[in-house]
Amino acid sequence: MRRTLFCFFPFAFALGVLVFFLPRPARAFGDVGAFDPRALLAGGTTGPARASAAGRWSWELVQRTSAPARLKPSQIRADDPGVVDGPFLWWSGDSAVTALTPQEISGLRRFFALGGILLVDDAGASEDAGDGRGGASAFGKSARQQIARVLPDSSPIALGPDHVLFKSFYLLKRAEGRVAGPRTLDAVVRGGQTQVVFSSHDLGGALARGATGVWENPVVPGGDIQRERAIRLAVNIAMYVLCSNYKDDQVHAPFLMRRRAGALVP
Amino acid sequence: MDAPTEQLTLSTRLAVNGDLPPWAAALACALVLVSLGVLVVHELRRRERGGLAIVASGVLALLALLLAVVRPVRIAARESVIGAKVVVLSDTSRSMALPQDGKTTRGDVGARALADLAKGSKDARLLVLGFGDGPPAPIAAKEGEKTVPAAPRSDLTAALRTLASSAEEKPQAVVVVSDGRLDDPAEDASPENLAALGKELKVPIHTIATTRQGPPDASVRRVSAAGAAVAHVPLPLRVEVGCSGGLSCDELTVTARELREDGPPALLATGLSHLKDGKGTVDLSVTLERAGARILEIAITPPSGDTIPENDRRLLTFVVARERVRVLHVAGRPTNDVRALRQWLKSDASVDVVAFFILRTQSDNPNARPEDLSLIPFPVDELFTEHLPSFDAVVLQDFDAQPYGLEKHLPQLARYVRSGGGLIMVGGQNSFIAGGYAGTPLAEVLPVSLDHSPGATAADVAPVTPTWTEDGRAAPLLAPLRDVASEELPQMPGTNILGDVRAGGLVLWSHPTRTTKSGAPMPILAIGDQGDGRSIALGIDGAWQLEFSQLGARTSGRGYGAMWDGLLGWLMRDPRFEPGQLDLTAPCVAGEPARVRVRAPDGRDASGEPREMVVEVRRLDARPGESGAEPLKVEVPKRAPGATGTVEVTLPPLPAGGYTARLKLGPGPTTRRDFACEAGGDEWADSRPDADRLRALAAATGGTFRWATDDRALPLPEPAVVSAERHVVPLAPPWSWTLAAAVLLGAHWFTRRRSGLS
Repeated sequence: MRRTLFCFFPFAFALGVLVFFLPRPARAFGDVGAFDPRALLAGGTTGPARASAAGRWSWELVQRTSAPARLKPSQIRADDPGVVDGPFLWWSGDSAVTALTPQEISGLRRFFALGGILLVDDAGASEDAGDGRGGASAFGKSARQQIARVLPDSSPIALGPDHVLFKSFYLLKRAEGRVAGPRTLDAVVRGGQTQVVFSSHDLGGALARGATGVWENPVVPGGDIQRERAIRLAVNIAMYVLCSNYKDDQVHAPFLMRRRAGALVP
Repeated sequence: MDAPTEQLTLSTRLAVNGDLPPWAAALACALVLVSLGVLVVHELRRRERGGLAIVASGVLALLALLLAVVRPVRIAARESVIGAKVVVLSDTSRSMALPQDGKTTRGDVGARALADLAKGSKDARLLVLGFGDGPPAPIAAKEGEKTVPAAPRSDLTAALRTLASSAEEKPQAVVVVSDGRLDDPAEDASPENLAALGKELKVPIHTIATTRQGPPDASVRRVSAAGAAVAHVPLPLRVEVGCSGGLSCDELTVTARELREDGPPALLATGLSHLKDGKGTVDLSVTLERAGARILEIAITPPSGDTIPENDRRLLTFVVARERVRVLHVAGRPTNDVRALRQWLKSDASVDVVAFFILRTQSDNPNARPEDLSLIPFPVDELFTEHLPSFDAVVLQDFDAQPYGLEKHLPQLARYVRSGGGLIMVGGQNSFIAGGYAGTPLAEVLPVSLDHSPGATAADVAPVTPTWTEDGRAAPLLAPLRDVASEELPQMPGTNILGDVRAGGLVLWSHPTRTTKSGAPMPILAIGDQGDGRSIALGIDGAWQLEFSQLGARTSGRGYGAMWDGLLGWLMRDPRFEPGQLDLTAPCVAGEPARVRVRAPDGRDASGEPREMVVEVRRLDARPGESGAEPLKVEVPKRAPGATGTVEVTLPPLPAGGYTARLKLGPGPTTRRDFACEAGGDEWADSRPDADRLRALAAATGGTFRWATDDRALPLPEPAVVSAERHVVPLAPPWSWTLAAAVLLGAHWFTRRRSGLS
């Protein structure tokens, strides 16, 4: 046994030397360019309704994809000059928001003018999808009204499974969150680019996970399978933010058509 | 040659008085003749006494009366005999330099014809003009003086029209000396069209043909392209070939090759032409991948016995346009920087982007079956072998070469750059040294060196704001960014470690504190020429903050687009972003000096002295050791401070071939212009003489056709006589004529009275 170890020692030493002298990979240039689900504070909200969701969102993204993400996401006020420091904002709430101040409207308009994307996530959404808005809560309704003030020239449209949001990483057939909600997402599309995405599914609710590792909210009606699909939708949204409409490129079309035809996942 | 034939002579003659109109003098003469007739017939018929005396006195009286009317004068004058103006148009196109009979050229035969014509036309004023491209110009045609035919065309029509529209004295005849291989009138010109040439001048056009028989020759006679050349788009070419002068060839192999700086000519197409009646055509389709001036060689494999090898190939300059810039965008992972670049590329309608992003690595766990993912395999082999030439530029953004099998394609990618492609490596944690590029062939085509020693540091993660260099401030490609954001740049989260800039490269942004091994500030943004292509190294991944930041908000996010507009534009040699411009003032002719027009800013170096500008000319198709293989450097004269505009530089005579000229402004990248020098060009493409065309021209305009080697006597117009120093002296005073007429009339009356007549 000792003889065997002695035999391996020169090889192990050489391997160690080799590893030492290999070019060291660059450490990440901070996480400035990484996906950052920045929580938007506007309309009287003081924080996201699902506080742990953003961090979990980043964690899932890093685990599942090559995309870097901030594991400690930031928060930003709509009237803060720093609102334009990144291309993505996440506005989550479960109660009605107050009217945006002129400064908040101005800040959000500057954000949208640069091509930023905002996800409005209705944390108060109920399972009832009977009104066509998937049981939108007071937050969902009021947030839409306020966004209409920010972008008065645009109206939301429904995004079905053909939209790139549903194929930017996973192939999804519908939108789901903590609640099943409507099958589609609503979005404000300006200049061909999706700039505001309205989710009536409480995406953050499905993602939120406590420090003890327990999911904070039950997912209804599909349970863990639905939660997995909600996480996949969150990953897709993050990939859309980082890759834009990459999966709409012609080079992907034949692959995606074949996969869509044979996909078993509902 | 204007041949004056004036001969001054002194002459004297009689004339009627100048105050008498010609008709009056004629009337007086007629009346006298009638009177004389009546007198003679009437008086002699009577046969009476004194009839003869009556007639004699009557004749004298009539003559005296006539002289009293016309009062004759003597005119003494100096007279000149001036030959008719005859314009001789001598063909000065390059086809006249073709050999004839082994020892001489067609031009020599034409010169001898001119000399003989001058000797044999003493009564005519010969004005010898050379015609070629544009208006005719005087040429020296003195005996023994040799002129080299050098005009690129033989446009007789333009020469005749210039004569017709000239305000100078019109010629009374035109003589054309040529081999008949004219560009205009064309070979298939109708007799009506030929006659129209003479009608404008209203004179006959005589023709003298220099050449009866063409040399044994196979040649590329004509190459025509269907439309403009566009990069990546097949361009149909029709090639006309021919055999003449007794050379027998049933078929000829035609090849089309592109002359490239990075290696031997690239074969683009080949075809076989079957000849009938000594001529044939073949259709080729060529695809030029790179935009700009490109040199194509269209060549035949000549049969044995071909005596003019110069026209076995044509070197043609195609200015290849770019319909859209095809960009291959490969990113190692999705980040905000990748997002920004993709959105900019997709927003530009002139850019056709093919993107591949690595969305999942081997260590990622998507927690899904493959069929639930929208991921497709990264077709690295297909992309970097089969499709690579079809791209104008490749962007490697934060991409690690090792895990995805790109390493084995790096030599191919380096060759792609050297053969005219563009490369941009954008920073990130997987770029440059960290991406495994150091020490690879691809590193050799980057504008900066990469440290490939063991343990080399790959990145500096300290936040940094890049510093503008002097070259960066002067670079046209960053002018749009400076216009938008001045020189303000956002703070970057770190940089890749880049080495010293390579020869021919330029650092535009540098690290404010970090230095290279040589002690120079470390490059952050550098550009450089790599053979026929160009490359850019951008050692940061935070440029997207030109869009999303306080600075971005102030500039409406335009800084990011402005920066990439300049970078990609420079890579594609957009004239807006070139440091200078280079053009030939006229097509290059082998063996003759060529002139190059240089447009460049009034650059100054660090000491304030005008920056050195050099035009470097390198042959594209030279074999080692062949003439012209070594690069030629010509210094551009320095201009006065503040001077702008263009400078012309004369290149020494170059042998036939394809060339690339580079304008070097200091140590940085160069502005490039490819051009071709041909020995004969269009004029030598078809070496057959065309005496039939000259014969038809003479016949259509009322002229005469002659062979230069035969009797060249032409029916030229007669000379004109012009009087000078005219002196008019009356033979007698008017009263004396009147007195004599009165006396003789009185004597006649007396004679008639004595004869019993009234």
